[in-house]
Amino acid sequence: MSTTVAQDRYAAEKQKFQELFDQTEAANQQPAHPLDEYRQRAMALVGTLDFPTRRWEEYKYTSVNRILQPDYAIGQVQGVDAADIKTYLPEGMDAHLIVFVNGQLSEALSQFAELPAGMHVMLLRDAMDSDRFGSIAREQLDNILKDQDDIFVALNAAFSQHSLFLYSEKNVVCEKPVYILHLSTNAETPILNSHMNIAVAETGSEFAYIEGQFEKPGATGTYFNNIYNRVTVGANAHIHHYCLQQEGADGFVINRVDAEQDRDSQFSNYTVDLGGRIVRNNLNTVHKGSNLTTNYYGVYFGKEQQHIDNHTFIDHAVPHCQSNELYKGIVTDSARGVFNGKVMVRKDAQKTNAFQQSSSLVLSNKAEMDSKPQLEIFADDVKCSHGATIGQLDESSVFYLRSRGLNDRQARAMLQHAFIAEVLEYFKHEQVRDFAEMLINQKFEQ
Amino acid sequence: MLTVKDLKVAVEDKTILNGINLEVKPGEVHAIMGPNGSGKSTFANVIAGREDYEVESGSVLYKGEDLLEMEVDERALAGIFMAFQYPVEIPGVSTSNFLKSIVNANREARGLEEMNAMQMLKYIREKIELVGMDEKFLRRSLNEGFSGGEKKRSEMLQMALLEPSLAILDETDSGLDIDALRIVSEAVNKLRTQDRSFIIVTHYQRLLNYIEPDFVHVLYKGRIVKSGDKSLALELEDKGYDWIKEEVDAVAV
Repeated sequence: MSTTVAQDRYAAEKQKFQELFDQTEAANQQPAHPLDEYRQRAMALVGTLDFPTRRWEEYKYTSVNRILQPDYAIGQVQGVDAADIKTYLPEGMDAHLIVFVNGQLSEALSQFAELPAGMHVMLLRDAMDSDRFGSIAREQLDNILKDQDDIFVALNAAFSQHSLFLYSEKNVVCEKPVYILHLSTNAETPILNSHMNIAVAETGSEFAYIEGQFEKPGATGTYFNNIYNRVTVGANAHIHHYCLQQEGADGFVINRVDAEQDRDSQFSNYTVDLGGRIVRNNLNTVHKGSNLTTNYYGVYFGKEQQHIDNHTFIDHAVPHCQSNELYKGIVTDSARGVFNGKVMVRKDAQKTNAFQQSSSLVLSNKAEMDSKPQLEIFADDVKCSHGATIGQLDESSVFYLRSRGLNDRQARAMLQHAFIAEVLEYFKHEQVRDFAEMLINQKFEQ
Repeated sequence: MLTVKDLKVAVEDKTILNGINLEVKPGEVHAIMGPNGSGKSTFANVIAGREDYEVESGSVLYKGEDLLEMEVDERALAGIFMAFQYPVEIPGVSTSNFLKSIVNANREARGLEEMNAMQMLKYIREKIELVGMDEKFLRRSLNEGFSGGEKKRSEMLQMALLEPSLAILDETDSGLDIDALRIVSEAVNKLRTQDRSFIIVTHYQRLLNYIEPDFVHVLYKGRIVKSGDKSLALELEDKGYDWIKEEVDAVAV
């Protein structure tokens, strides 16, 4: 055992998380809940797993070292009122709002009550207590912990006290998206924000949920959003999952989504990353039934020291499935972008139609983009295409726009905007598309 | 309007324009003709402000100011419009947004208020009719997938919207069928005013059947070797460029 400890580069950091967990448990005034048992199991799992290093192939371009250094504490709901929320609810944005401040649920600002019949959003601990959802919730949690090899998921499961459970009944279509808003405000110490969503759509149902990760304007501070989503899309169902992220200069973000789709279903993930110091997205989908579609649409814009890493995986395990993946981003100053898109087409997955495109603009000498499409195809009757482009703005286009009276800055902004706007056209919900567009425009104006 | 004196321009150390002299007064239409490689397009691009050219000597005054010191967008805002031979396709930039941006940028430069959405729509519709374009193009990406004729029409639409003082048409007629050619020349004729000047660069005389120039200049080996009125264009149509080349080359020897 002593050799294992010696090899664990992050033993001290793991110890800090253990201490934080122990403190949290000691301070917990609530009576023990079955969820706490899962959380303790998850923390035990953290002890057996390692944090990734650059020597790991999947973390070759992204070091988590900087994320692990701060002495994190658990945050509190503070410094936010209903007026602050308005910034993130622009006109036309009509959604069922659930608000987390510094990782803690703000019941006062959330609207659990107004959901349409057949659509359920509740705390995971309440779902576990209910007769109707208890067994589903436990099964999901068991699956998350079973054979889990990602230390960040284990850490998430250990610390996420206000996990949400989203559930649409058979054939229910929920028109209004559920909007889970994470706000970071000023805090004296670095904050660990762990949040888990378990989303389940039963046969023939459809809903959308938005995860917003924002820093309150004018706030500063270090924090680590460790977010985990477990998505189960039933037969002929559709889940839309939007991730809009505009964290501050000292915000660290690790998002992981594990989706599982049944036959004839659709899962669409739309990701917009504009902020954060280090951002790592792990987006994974496994196909369990035929004739289904997976859509990944991503936009990112990194400036200064930002590091934005999109790691995607689509596991085509059955025939007649389709996947569409389009990522576009801009990096400038000393920012760095990473795209690693793995598509597995297993032997039985005949007639697979898989499309992947990653395009980026690298606008300064110090900016960097690493793009790695990774197609592993074991079936012989498939259509798979992938493209990766890394380039600069077309100077003849800049000249053309300037020849009509736009100045150099306006011309470049128009072209950069056009470059990433293509992805926004795939955003199904117009209000989210407009919101994303507004956020992107703000970033251009910075 | 425009005074060009002894303009010498090189591209990658090769002299393309070898002493151009030209005076364009308000309201005049000048046609610049010449064989391939004579420097016609280079001249148009230097006036528009393309930076790949090195001005070796000479001067260009536009409304009394040193044009060569102005950036390309400054020239545009000062009222110079260039209709390009090959307009670039710009995917993702919607034609309508682009037109709104350029109209308002030019209005701002002229001290006019920005147009609101309604005024803009009315203004664009009016000009779209003038150039005989289909409104559906407004919803498409700028020039993307447009045919040759549609691209030229889009250039004419921009010209009509920006109401320049000096418009340069760089081989706008090349490759157009007769219908498209008519539309381009009608647009120019409708926009002709006492104050607005045109420089029409063309390889073929055909366009000048529709747009009557005040002056015709023949460019050869980077110099204007012959100037005249519209009858010179007809003569060129009859005899081609060879007689001019011979004349010039004989003198040079």
